[in-house]
Amino acid sequence: MGLIKMLGKVLEKKVSGQKGKTQPQKQSAKSRSVSLEAIKQMLKDVQDVQYKPIRTSEGLVTLIYYQSFVGTTVLHEMVVNPILRHQETVIHAADKLENDDLSHVLNLITTGYTVIYLHKPNQFYALETFSAESRAIQQTQTESTVIGPQDSFTESFETNLSLIKRRITNADLKNKDYIIGTETNTKVAVLYIEHLVNKEDLDCISQKINGTDYDGFLDISVLKQLIEDHPLSPFPQYNMTVRPDMAMQYLLDGRIVVLMDNSQSVIICPTSFFELFVPMEDYYNRWMTATLLRSLRFFGFFVTIILTPTYISALTYHPELLPFELLLNLQESRDRVPFPPVIEVLFIELVIEILREAGSRMPTKIGQTIGIVGGIVIGTAAVEAGLISNMLVVLVAISALLSFLPSNFLMSNTSRFIRYVFILSAGMFGLYGQMIALAWLFIHLLNLTSLGKPYLAPGIPRKWTDLLDSVLRLPVGLLRFKKGISVVKRNRVSPLDEE
Amino acid sequence: MDNNKLKKLKGYHVVFLVQNSMVGLGLLSLPNQLSSMGYSQWWLPLMLGIIANLTLIPIIWLFLRYPQDNIFTLNEKMIGKVLGKALNLFLVMYLIIFIASIIEGYLDLIMIIALPDRTITTPLFIFFILLLYVVHGGIKSIARFCVMSFFLTVWMIYFLQWPIFEGDVRHLLPVSNFTLEEFLLATRNGYFAICGYELIMTYFPYIINQKKAFKNASIGIWITILIYTGVTIVSVMYFSEWQMEEVLYPILKLYKAVELSFAERIDVLGISLWVFLILSSAAAYLWVAKKGMDAFRSNNKTYHVYLISICIFIFINIPFSKDTQELIYDNLFYFKFAIILWPNFLILLHAVKSRRKQASS
Repeated sequence: MGLIKMLGKVLEKKVSGQKGKTQPQKQSAKSRSVSLEAIKQMLKDVQDVQYKPIRTSEGLVTLIYYQSFVGTTVLHEMVVNPILRHQETVIHAADKLENDDLSHVLNLITTGYTVIYLHKPNQFYALETFSAESRAIQQTQTESTVIGPQDSFTESFETNLSLIKRRITNADLKNKDYIIGTETNTKVAVLYIEHLVNKEDLDCISQKINGTDYDGFLDISVLKQLIEDHPLSPFPQYNMTVRPDMAMQYLLDGRIVVLMDNSQSVIICPTSFFELFVPMEDYYNRWMTATLLRSLRFFGFFVTIILTPTYISALTYHPELLPFELLLNLQESRDRVPFPPVIEVLFIELVIEILREAGSRMPTKIGQTIGIVGGIVIGTAAVEAGLISNMLVVLVAISALLSFLPSNFLMSNTSRFIRYVFILSAGMFGLYGQMIALAWLFIHLLNLTSLGKPYLAPGIPRKWTDLLDSVLRLPVGLLRFKKGISVVKRNRVSPLDEE
Repeated sequence: MDNNKLKKLKGYHVVFLVQNSMVGLGLLSLPNQLSSMGYSQWWLPLMLGIIANLTLIPIIWLFLRYPQDNIFTLNEKMIGKVLGKALNLFLVMYLIIFIASIIEGYLDLIMIIALPDRTITTPLFIFFILLLYVVHGGIKSIARFCVMSFFLTVWMIYFLQWPIFEGDVRHLLPVSNFTLEEFLLATRNGYFAICGYELIMTYFPYIINQKKAFKNASIGIWITILIYTGVTIVSVMYFSEWQMEEVLYPILKLYKAVELSFAERIDVLGISLWVFLILSSAAAYLWVAKKGMDAFRSNNKTYHVYLISICIFIFINIPFSKDTQELIYDNLFYFKFAIILWPNFLILLHAVKSRRKQASS
């Protein structure tokens, strides 16, 4: 346990390490004054950059831009043609740049601006001309619903921001921007509704984002792992979604949404354990249907981690637990199986895992073949060959299906991982081991926090109105209370030796 | 010490801390312990509840006068540093033996029922890892775990339905067929199952609303008593007098009366699920022992928990003969009762001290 704690401390240190680390190269750029030669020198070996000289009535003008960012039509419509006609109007529309901040100029060029250099007064101007291709708004593949809005976030920051802002047309919806990633300079925005958000949360998240010390953010999930409260836990502590309506739903409850450039998902924080099981469709369905589906999803999580381990402990340690007929059936089905139940279960669970993994990266057509080969051929053949019992195939199939029920993909991955903990402990100590594992699970969940808020809401913090929208989903008219997790103060856990 | 940092237990935390540190191994053998009274035992838990509630009054009264102290620091304050420290060390040793008795009793049961032909060492080791994990979060984490354990185990009461239908209500008729001696014996044995609420003497300074502590603790006590009464009533209905005397763990036998279509014998499940109750009460006791160690060494260190756990682990693994073990564990009762009555003595000291103060001023 000491080792784990040490590891945790190292991780925490890494996250909250020095901020504002600047590269020596950048520092040199900052102190230098801006000139065409200096820009050319700094952008040496960047084949992409264009220096386009234009001779106008008032003298020589050089346009500097990245070819990959600025489309030809945009360039001509916005810059070249107007400059040839009325240079003055363009200059008025553009931002005038300071002559002593080279890094700022470089930054503008690398983010898709066109820098206009007037040779005569030796002055630089910048105009936003970013027009690189981006993906259109499409239907989501991972969180699709039958009813409800079908649009989903894309990889474009501006599109994502607009998708949320067009849903909440209110000046109180604020977004604070941050630049993180020492190499990539990735843009991150924290969205919240001013009068609803918990100020404590806001301070906490901005502190965490500012504290990240990491080279490059491939996706927002990297950032999420860096700013989680417990990096060593198997549970995801913030919700992630690609659905704008979900982001909106939690914004209205007073949560914080974090957007990142080049990332399709957004983070929602703080989040409770329970909310990771709730897809948006629950709010579009009739309340009874939603309640039924919710309880299925929630209890399914516990069934999926307990079902196959119970098979192991019942057959290995406690055959008396089962009624006689069932026991007879089970024994008959595995009378040709030469392994102990725990090996049998591990074998088939791993096969399912392999099938899933193999299928997930294949094109759909081949993926189907893998499903057929795996599911039917291996399943039946393995039973007939006497490697596994057919009763177990049924149980494993059920628990595999149940593990896909949580709406959050990371949560369904977690449930699969935890199942192995239960399988091993059942293999070692039977039901006692299972209960020990269950106790571990609950203690762990009780101690987890999301942005400093208890993770196991609505259990803790106790707020009775949370129950209306928990395993139950009462009619929408009744769901007008803010969730406990948005309201409650931060959970200050003092270490044992400070009590 | 920062005052606000200490306050962390809400009312319902106190209810369930009291309730869960009471329910442990005691419940499993309760009807057997009370068996000297025969069929008349069913109202005994109610009487024990009244005694428990009465002994709670001086405890709360005393600690409301010293809201920042736990029993260990109060000992040092009241009876002098040297004597107090000696007493605290003695208490810690007692707690070590007591926790060992809980854990060993439970794991022996697991060995017999759920995991025959296995040594105790590995299950014990796993249990300790988990126990330390609970205690590591501090008293609030323990309290939360208590709440959780209560709701995870309380549904087992539903299983009493089957024994009720098979039982005989006439067993409950009030016939006073016991002697005073038998009554005292049953009270003595039964009180062992009621103990645990006195731990409030240690976590009292952490309670946010100390004025309501008595009410909350009483609720906790009476939840336990209700469960106990229910179980003894059903046992009296279901068993014969002879069975209650001979069967060591009547609750497990009650489980056997359960008839479900998908499970034959529920007792294995029940005894495995009991680990929640044992964990929560052992965690509370371990935390208290740690506070005792802190007071003895006059500093607050996390490794005290490890030290105590190692002591418990070693104590469980010492191969005592069965007789010695029973002798040790049986006599724990007297210490237990002494500890529950101890605050009365401290109140006396408090009265003397305050009178002296008044006289001097």
